[in-house]
Amino acid sequence: MQAILAIFSTVGLFLIYQRLYAKWSKPYMLPILTTAITLVAVLLIFKIPYSTYMEGGQWIHKMLGPAVVALAYPLYNQRKLVFQYKYSILSSLLVAMLSGLVSVFLLLKGFKASHAFLLTALPKSLTTPIAMQVSETIGGIVPLSALLVMIAGFTGALLGPIIFKLAKIDTAISRGVSLGSASHGVGVSKLTEYGEKDISIGSLAMGLSAVLGAFICPLFALVFL
Amino acid sequence: MQIIRTIAQIGILTIYYYLGVVIVNLTGIFIPASIVGLILLWLSLYFKLIKVQYIQDGATFFLAFLTLFFIPSTIGVVDHPELLSKAGLYLILAVIVSTLFTIALTGKWSQWIEKKEAAAKDGEQ
Repeated sequence: MQAILAIFSTVGLFLIYQRLYAKWSKPYMLPILTTAITLVAVLLIFKIPYSTYMEGGQWIHKMLGPAVVALAYPLYNQRKLVFQYKYSILSSLLVAMLSGLVSVFLLLKGFKASHAFLLTALPKSLTTPIAMQVSETIGGIVPLSALLVMIAGFTGALLGPIIFKLAKIDTAISRGVSLGSASHGVGVSKLTEYGEKDISIGSLAMGLSAVLGAFICPLFALVFL
Repeated sequence: MQIIRTIAQIGILTIYYYLGVVIVNLTGIFIPASIVGLILLWLSLYFKLIKVQYIQDGATFFLAFLTLFFIPSTIGVVDHPELLSKAGLYLILAVIVSTLFTIALTGKWSQWIEKKEAAAKDGEQ
């Protein structure tokens, strides 16, 4: 009974918030955020343990694996774009991946963060479903990783345009590739304000850096942690 | 008919996912099974082992609801109040600073390569 209630409330809230987001497309209206906040509030107010919610929630969670596989479809559709800009896109993705990993690692070392927090933060620039699976693979705290991914996304969506101005980053490829590989989906949504090409490059960079990150993050964790 | 086709295609995507699970279990590699499945599917499409029409509707369905599937794990933050500690705030700060640094460096790098490529092309002509 509780399981069914958990499934229906999650899916129901998500569909409602998705409709609201279609009308009112602000980053803080993203259905993942609004649905999660509402459910967390309900669990805390009514003192429902997370494990009780997950009796139903796990069935939705089980779809995540096949859903990640489905990302092959847009990556296949965009294969022409990859071959067209192969050097600038692929080398930039590598720069993004390494600078993201090294900088967050050094900062957290400086803050004397725990081992668990280091592993949790490493996948922060990957798109959420893949970040969660990488976090699980390397032994991070999965829900915290998901939260950090969203913080990376909002950082890019809100402050990305300021960086573009300060650093004089003013081409579609460089804007798309930097936001797509550092701030994934939430960052890419900001690129709608620049143009069609920014978005295509951005979503391509997001997809490719997720695949690349699934290899490099665990390798980085293995070598340095 | 549309619904049946979508469900069947979700089945195909799920088979690719489980192929990934089997490969990860057999080889013990540290890559998520879903990524192995994604790469297998991409290769299958690229080498025309399967037609894109066989997965199109299923993939479109999954992508439309992608964020729904990670809500249950995200809610797991209720079991981690340590995020509201000093260490948690440092964690968030590190992610913000690292993201800003990555955007700036990647954007500059990409623009530099792009200009070099354009210059090389002009030289050829």
